[in-house]
Parts: sequence; C-alpha cells; structure tokens
Amino acid sequence: MGNVTVKNVDRIKQTLWEKSYIPEILRGLSVTTSHFFRNLNPNKEKRTIFTREYPEVITEYPERYRGLHRLMLRDDGQVRCVACMCCSTICPADCIHIEAGEHDDPTIEKYPTVFVIDELRCIVCGLCVEACPCDAIRMDSGRHIPPSLERDEAFFDRDLLMELGGLSEAKQGGQR
Amino acid sequence: MAEILLSVVKIAVIVFGFVMLVASLMTLLGDRKQSAKIQNRIGPNQARFFGFSLAGIPHFLADGIKMILKENVTPAQSNKFLHTIAPGLVFVPALVGWAVVPFMDHYCTGTVQTLPQMNYTEVCVGGEWKNYFSIMHFNSGLLFAFAIAAVSVYGAAIAGWASNSKFSLLGGLRSSAQMISYEVSMGLSLAGVLMIYGTLNLNEMVRMQGNMFGDWLPMWGVVVQPLAFFLFFLAGLAETKRAPFDLPEDESVIVAGYITEYSSMKFAMMQLSEYAATVFIAALIAVIFLGGWQVPYVYADGIRFLDNHWVPFGEDAWYWISIFLRIGAMVFKILFLVWLQFMMRWTLPRFRYDQVMTLGWKILLPLSIANLFVTALVLAIL
Amino acid sequence: MPKVTINGTEIEVEKGTTLLRAAAQAGYEVPHFCYHPALSIPANCRMCLVEVEGNWKLQPACYSEVTDGMVVNTKSDRVVKAQKAVLEFILVNHPVDCPICDQAGECKLQDYYMAYDAQESRLRTEKQSKVKVFPIGPEVLYDGERCILCTRCVRFCEEITGTNELTIVQRGDSAEIRTFPGRELDNDYSVCTADICPVGALTSRDFRFKCRVWLLSSTDSVCTGCSRGCNIHLEHFRNEIQRYRPRYNPQVNDYWMCDAGRLTYKEAHEDRLLRPMNNGVQLNWHAVGEATADKLRRVLKDDGAATMAFVVSPQASCEDLFLAREFATKVLGTTNFYLGGKADGDSDDFLIEADKNPNREGLSQVFGGLDDLKTAVQLLQDLEEGTLSSLYMMESHLPFDSGERTRFIDALDQLDLFILQAQHRSDLAAKAHLALPTCSHAETSGTFVNSQGIHQRFDQAFAPHGQSLPHWQIFTRLSKALDAPLEYTFVHQVQKEMFPAPEEEDDAAQPAE
Repeated sequence: MGNVTVKNVDRIKQTLWEKSYIPEILRGLSVTTSHFFRNLNPNKEKRTIFTREYPEVITEYPERYRGLHRLMLRDDGQVRCVACMCCSTICPADCIHIEAGEHDDPTIEKYPTVFVIDELRCIVCGLCVEACPCDAIRMDSGRHIPPSLERDEAFFDRDLLMELGGLSEAKQGGQR
Repeated sequence: MAEILLSVVKIAVIVFGFVMLVASLMTLLGDRKQSAKIQNRIGPNQARFFGFSLAGIPHFLADGIKMILKENVTPAQSNKFLHTIAPGLVFVPALVGWAVVPFMDHYCTGTVQTLPQMNYTEVCVGGEWKNYFSIMHFNSGLLFAFAIAAVSVYGAAIAGWASNSKFSLLGGLRSSAQMISYEVSMGLSLAGVLMIYGTLNLNEMVRMQGNMFGDWLPMWGVVVQPLAFFLFFLAGLAETKRAPFDLPEDESVIVAGYITEYSSMKFAMMQLSEYAATVFIAALIAVIFLGGWQVPYVYADGIRFLDNHWVPFGEDAWYWISIFLRIGAMVFKILFLVWLQFMMRWTLPRFRYDQVMTLGWKILLPLSIANLFVTALVLAIL
Repeated sequence: MPKVTINGTEIEVEKGTTLLRAAAQAGYEVPHFCYHPALSIPANCRMCLVEVEGNWKLQPACYSEVTDGMVVNTKSDRVVKAQKAVLEFILVNHPVDCPICDQAGECKLQDYYMAYDAQESRLRTEKQSKVKVFPIGPEVLYDGERCILCTRCVRFCEEITGTNELTIVQRGDSAEIRTFPGRELDNDYSVCTADICPVGALTSRDFRFKCRVWLLSSTDSVCTGCSRGCNIHLEHFRNEIQRYRPRYNPQVNDYWMCDAGRLTYKEAHEDRLLRPMNNGVQLNWHAVGEATADKLRRVLKDDGAATMAFVVSPQASCEDLFLAREFATKVLGTTNFYLGGKADGDSDDFLIEADKNPNREGLSQVFGGLDDLKTAVQLLQDLEEGTLSSLYMMESHLPFDSGERTRFIDALDQLDLFILQAQHRSDLAAKAHLALPTCSHAETSGTFVNSQGIHQRFDQAFAPHGQSLPHWQIFTRLSKALDAPLEYTFVHQVQKEMFPAPEEEDDAAQPAE
C-alpha cells in the first residue's frame, strides 16, 4: 500500500465545434445510413445481414459444438461407461444420476444400470466430458437440448443417450 | 354545398389517404424494418400473404388486428373519463394540424405565368386561384399549426395523471415540461423566417420560396435561415417525443411513461399519434424550410433555368405534369424528413433529462433569439 | 529414553519405538502399505524405506527400532528414489482401474502415487492378468490384479481372529491371496480385511458400487448392534447411511468391528414410520400433541396412573431414557416401569456381546439399577390378567419369542390406550392408538453406555427422516401439551442435568494405520 501514487489525468478540452456534437452526429448518421443502404441492396449477397432464419434454415453446428450428451459404445455395442461417478461428482448442476451395477464380465466389472441426465438442469459446461476417464460421455452430438412440454421428457436415460450419434470424428468402440 | 363536399374529399384524401397511411406504415417500415436494416437484421417477415412476406407489410395488418382484439384494461382507481379521452386528446391535434398544410399551389382556372423579372412570381392570368390542394386556405396557418401542436401536450399530461400510476405521472410531467421548453425555441426560430417571408400563410410561404437569388439559387428557408432550420429540426424532434428525446417514455427508467397503463386500441392511438406528429413536423419543415411543393426551376408554365425556358409536352399538358411533379416533391420531402428523423432515432442514444432541459433552455433558446436579432439586423440594413 | 534426529528435528521417544512411529511423533509421514499398528510387522512392502546415517542400506522404518543418537532422513534423494522405485514396482501389475474400484478415494496406492511418484508408466508389456471379482467370502470380494500382497488381511486372520483362512499362493507376479482349500473368509470380522486392505483388492460386498467414497460425509457415532458399542465412522450421503467403518478406540473396539454390526445401519432406513399416526390416520405433530394429551388425560382420570404401564427400552439413548423417567414420574405420575429391548443373541469373546441392546448399562444408571423395572414377561402376564388399562411404550422391541409375541399382540386389544414411540412400521405400530415416529441414532445425538460402563457420545449425522423426532423431544412436546412442561430445548441441556460434571473425553491420538 505504500507505493500508491497519484496520476493526474487532465480532462480533454473540447472545442466549441466538438461540443456541439454536430460532427459526431453526422459521423453516426453516416454509419447508420451506410448500413441502411447497404442492406437495401437488391443483390442479397452484398447485404450484411446476420439473422439466421432459424426454423427454415437449420444452422450447422461446428464440430466442437457442446450440445446434448451422448454415451459412447464399445465394439460389442455395450455402453463404454463404467459408472465411476466422476461426471456426476464434478457436475456443478448436479444433473447426472448414475446407479452402478455388477457386470457379467469380470473384466468389465462395473457398468451403469441407470444413467439419467436431467438436460434441463445441465448448464452445458462440459466438465463431465473432461472428467470422464473412459471417454464414455461426450457432448458432440451436434444437437441442442430439444424443447419439451413435460419435465420428464428432458430426462435422458442411458439407452437414449447411447443412441445419439456424434458430429465429431471420434470413433465408437474400444475394448474397455 | 360543393365546397363542403370538396373539403370532405380533401380531408379524406389527406388525413386518411396520406397521413394515416404514412404514419401507420411507419410504425412498421420505419420503426422495425428500417431499424432492422441499420442493425444488420431482417426485421419482421413471418406474417405472410400467400407465402410472400411483402417487406413485412402484413405485420402491420396483423398488428392492427391484434390491437383491436386485445383486452382494454383501465387501471383501478384511475380517472376513467380522462383516461379514456386522453388518447383522443393526443390523437386529434396530430391530425387537425394538417388542415393548413399545402400539398400544392392553388389551382389556376386560367393560365399561369411566371414573371422572371418579378423574381419568378407566378400569376394567374384570365382566371382565379382555387384551393384544391390544401384543406384550408388560412392566412394565419402557421399560428394555427402551432396552436394545435401545442394542445397535444394536454393529452400526454392528462394521460399521465389519469392513469393513477407513478410512472405514468412522471412520464406526463416529463412530456409537458419537455414540450413547453421546446415550443419556445421552435416558435422563436421561426420568427426570422416570418420576417423574411412576411406572411403566416403557409401556401404563400411556399410560393415565396420559389423566388430565386441571382436566377439560380431558390430562396428556400434552409438557404436563407440555415440556423433556424437546424433549430427547428432539433426542436421538432424533441416536440414529437421521439428518440433521442423520448424521455417521456423512457422505458429503462419509467416503464413506458404516460402510456404505461394503456392497452389495446388506446395504446395504438397513443403510438399512432406520435407517428402522426412525426409526419406533421416533417410536413412543417418541408413547407417552411425545404420549399414545400416547390421543385427548383420547375414552374407551372415550363422549366426555367437562368435565362432558358423550355415547355415540354405543350402548355396545357405541362401544367398538369407540373402539378403532379409538385405534389410528388412535397410527398417526397415529407417522407425524406420522416426517414431522417427515424435515422436520428436509431443513431443517437437517449439524452439524460437534465441534458434535454439544458439543451432546450440554455442552447436552443439563446441561439434562436440570436438568430432572430441577426435576421432583423440584416433585414433592417437591406 | 533414546533421542533421535529425524529430518533435523530432534525428538525423544520411548525405547522400542519404531522409526515410523517416531517420525509420526516428529510430524513426518512415512508412507507404508503393509504396516498396521494392530498387526505384526512383516516389512514386506518396502515402501517405508528411510535413510539412517551410518547405514549403507535404506532401512524399513516400520521395523527398525530407534537407538540413541540415530540420525534419520525420510526425505533424502535416495529415499525419494527408493519410494518411486517401489511404487513403480507395485504398479507394474496393478490394473489402475480406479474408475471402477470402490477403494478409489481412500486408496493408499492412489494417495502415495500422487504424493511420492506422479510419473508416467514406463511399462510397455502386457500386465499380468489375475482373478477378478473372486468371492473369497460371503461378505468380501477379492480382486487379484489390484492386490499388492501386503498380507495385512492374512495377518488379520492369523492374529486378530485366529481363524487362519487366508494365505498367499503362487510365487512372483502370479502370487495371490487365497483361502486354504475348503475354507472361505467367513469369520465374524471378515469385512475388517476390506477396511485394512490399503488398495481395492478386498472390498465389502454390501458397500460394493453403492457410493463413491469421496461423496461420503463422516460422523463419529456408535454402533447399536450390541452392548459393546463399537466406535464407528458413520458414513452417509444424501441423508442416508451408506456404511459403518470402525473408529479407533483402544478401550472398546481397537480398530475392529463385527460384520453383523456393520449391517445394522440398514435398520435406520428400512420400513420407517415417518409420520405420527392416530388409529391409522396420518397427523402432524401439532394435532398429535393435542390428541395424545387428550387421550392421556382421559385415561389418567378414568383409570388412574397405577394401571398405566411404561415400557422403557435399552435401545434408546441415556438422554431419551432420562426424559422418559421424568415424563413418566412427573407428568404422568406413574412408576410402573417395564423393561423392553431386544432378546439376547450370539456372543463371542472378542467384540460381540450377547446383549443386543446398546444402552442397557445406561438405562440402569438412569433408573438407579434394573431391579425396580419389571420384566417383559411380567408385562405380558399383567396384560393378560387385565390389571393394565393403558400402555406407553418406547421402541417396539420386546425380548419375546414368536409365541409370546402373538399373545402380547392379542392382549393389546383390551387396552384403553396404547401409545407407541417407534422407528419402524410393525404389527405393534399398527395396533397402537397413537404411533409416534422416532428417529435413529444417526439423526440425533446422545450418549450410550456400553457393557464396560464407558459413556460414549454419538453425533447427529443428518436431519431426522420424515417427521420423526428423537424420543426426548417427543416427551417434551407431550409434556407441554399436558401443561406440565419439561423445559428442555437442546440435547446438551438434558446432558447437563444428567451428568452434572461431564468427564473430559480423552482424545486418544489416533496412530497412523
């Protein structure tokens, strides 16, 4: 706290011409007017309109878009998840519910009997993907969370999450 | 009888055919489509006729239907009578003022002659002037227009008071304070113009603006009184309560000001009268400063530039062509000024209230008085 | 008293102390797997190697005793190198399947890897595959791949239980823990092997996959399985007990507890009575206070206090029993006490006691001996003879066999009033005119006195389930409704009254396991 120094900053003096704001107003008007006329251009490609006409024109999400979760599969089509609870532990919204069960194959040993994500609660932070030690959960399905009329419809269970395809190049499969 | 019929037709054409159309279309095209273009958006295009969005015009109809069908809510504890008539008090003055706006010079039953030696004054030879193109030929038209425009502040103030809401009351107070402040400099800025033209009759004023300086420069108001034009335009913006002077309906501070408690068609009337006032101010500016229906060098008996004189299509045909040219010019000027006002709205942020008052009383008023004195001095010297 | 210098800290320790204990006293942690304070020292994991000045070789800290003037370094470069080497060696065949391993989060190998190794594997060959999910006993599963062969479990079965089920079979990297032929790990303390297992090789079947340990919250509590009162860590998640884990107390249970006791937590969640019931109708506490007070007043007026039986339970804590005595004598005016509680069960000479009630000793202290209390058999007899008109009962346990129990339930029909304070829904609660829900020992705090006469506090882990309340709070509520209020709001007020000068709890420093 001993090193605090005071720096005096002078107010910028404005000339009368500047104080009248006329040059600035004209500059502003020139900007808005140029936009206006540019967007009236009959050649629609020359217009600079950024609106996406959503329902008619579906946006292609980029490959790394974080959207709906999906569960990855092993070679034999079983779920890759081992119910380690890392995702549900780290989830800041507490939206992942997992119940673990004993797998028939002792080399796999543990698998999720119940795996439900409450997509309404999900804040799409992607921490679950980071936490997953088996690359079993991803958010690359390339879809956003669909609207629903009932709360229950936003509970995505294991089988539904396994069916979702992915945008990314990541391969399904793997032994363990 | 014929005169009454003529007046009715004129009222119908001007008020409903022009003002209402422009004002209500502006709610859509001006406020939504224009802002959309400025902000790189598309704007409303989802209401359609047979699959065509028609530049968003169906939205205007949909909006109207919506407004009519909505529930008309009158707040409890409000003054029902005043609350109900307030929209009318705002709406009517915005339309009544149009009575004196000339869309075209009077019609000459004889032949029109332009006298270059008398500063390009047009005279009617072998006939008389007939007023077909403004509703009323009124010698003190400008005063009438001002008087009527000033009445609309009562509507806003009453609406604010009758709503029994603090926001409305604040909005009404702001509106009346602001309108009175700007009314003063508005009137004073015009005093110089009156001195030069020497008339209050708006049509006479427009005729005077057909005069030329040195055969080539039209004596438009904006030429002879540039400062007054600037002041009047600014005060006009403030008078119509449009951005950047829309303090009375400062939605981030007082919800919607004096129209907070209005719904349904009452709300629509409030809005519409605001747009009608915008068009009216545009018309006044056009008439007083931009030569009204005048088209430079175009006269009823031909085109005159310097010493040249052409009469395309023959004398009679040209007279009619010039009439349509001049009406078109008037409409174009109004629309241009409306467009400009909207451009200002989407360019400038809203002023703070003290800034508005400072601007009105400390800058515009002294400037307009100075303008008045300088004009008087110049005229006295000449 | 030999003096020893550990990492520059000079410390005087008792003769015969090992280096590991001395380092712990000096405040230095020496990592170890095979060493357990309650077991013999094999020094086979080599994790605890430390440098002793003057010795060319690194010494196992768990085994070497201190001598006077010893200068020890637990953090030298050689020690660090040795620790890394040992961990790398252990991890050669370890599957590193932490995501599916129940031990993850309380695993010594995990902790030590993070603290002392933290380098990438250099192994490029296939790992040895061994037996997975091997049912080594009814309560315990064995995973050979995770096992680091520290032999804690083998020594436990040799030295603590003396049952000798386990041994190591095979050699080298094929070595595994197995039971002797024809046996399985089925002694009464088998789950303790899962506790002491430093890795996830032995895991409890009951706790398997139930909850990740890092999600658990732990509360110090006491097992209610028998009158031994083993100290436990009551570990819970989302208002539910997930498991019991023994808590070190050299006077009571040392590091151990029995398998049956571990499973008693289920009682706290199964079939709970969650709302006050009035003849089968759910009520809230306010209404129930009124109704109970009403009925009690009428019965006391009609029949008098003498025909009222008051059954106290050694299942309840001292505080509950103290309030029960106050309530019965001062509010109801009866001294007609009967003794309830569970019937006796199996016992052994180690921890398991025949008396399956945690607080019989405490009850006798509160009531000044058990002689004034009539037995449950007497209660049945009195009921059948019709000398009792009303019954007030704490907890639904009675030391009856099934025949006596049916007779008892039949005899309840002739009562004018039967009030039951119970944790569970049962045939008794169905018979009760008023059934008031009480909470388990996890949901309140209090004191048990175990069979050795040791006062043991237990803490509240989470809020009572449903609308249940501790016994003592029910008594204070009812006393208020009966206009003879017992003025207690907090449990420590009760404790202050019961134990005028609370003895200082000696916090025995818990040595490293």
